[in-house]
Amino acid sequence: MSAVGSKLSMPFQLSGILLVIGLCIEAISLFWIHPLAFLAFFVLGGLFLGAGVLLYLSSIIIHGSPPHSDDSNSN
Amino acid sequence: MPGPTAILFVLLSTTIILLVVLLARGSLTATPAGKILAFLAFFALPMLCGFWGLNEHLERSKQTAFCLSCHIMEPYGRSLYADDPMYIPAAHFQNHRIPAEEACYTCHTDYAMYGTIRVKLHGLRHIYMQYFGTPMDPIHLYDPYNNRECLHCHAGARSFENATHMALLDQIKANQLSCASSGCHDTIHNAGSINKVKIWRAQE
Repeated sequence: MSAVGSKLSMPFQLSGILLVIGLCIEAISLFWIHPLAFLAFFVLGGLFLGAGVLLYLSSIIIHGSPPHSDDSNSN
Repeated sequence: MPGPTAILFVLLSTTIILLVVLLARGSLTATPAGKILAFLAFFALPMLCGFWGLNEHLERSKQTAFCLSCHIMEPYGRSLYADDPMYIPAAHFQNHRIPAEEACYTCHTDYAMYGTIRVKLHGLRHIYMQYFGTPMDPIHLYDPYNNRECLHCHAGARSFENATHMALLDQIKANQLSCASSGCHDTIHNAGSINKVKIWRAQE
């Protein structure tokens, strides 16, 4: 996983944000027993979680072996 | 002991906190241990939370409250409280012959192989029709009620194995004679006229 300074590179940051949103949607949907809660979890939550995980996996494949923090600091 | 939902909330919170920490302190991922942590936070834990959440929602969709949360189902929910023992769903619900918390699902699931998947797909169709389509009026079953769903509990029960049932057992098992529409147990929900029926109120 590439880190620029103390921050992750852009695809990993985006992946993390998508995952946090997806997990928050899942958590909120669990407070409500209603078909709309299921729909929100399945469609919205699934979309964000799926996109976040896929973006993470594709970033690992594209970036190959993650550089050390020293390498990334030199960027 | 905390229930599965509480554990899921702990897992969700932990994953979110872990992700936020890694987003704020990306340098943590520079070490091999950090990379494993990132893999857990970005892949393993969200996948676990997703599948666990899906299972939780599917379990909740079996609840009577879930089915009755749609406006169109209100008269059917009301029929469970009909103060008349001839009403088959009411007699089952009020006497706890079926779990009161999963009353609709217990009788309207499909006790065949892949039946659960089939009813879940029907459920998704119901959600679609409720919010994006036009629900059928009056609503009715996709297929005639299958005796298999009755026999799932009643077959082999002493109360069921009386002379009448045993004489007709082959026809009942073959669905040639419906339990619900043969003049035997044919007072079902009667949702259209449920407002004219006396309603039972459970004692607190």
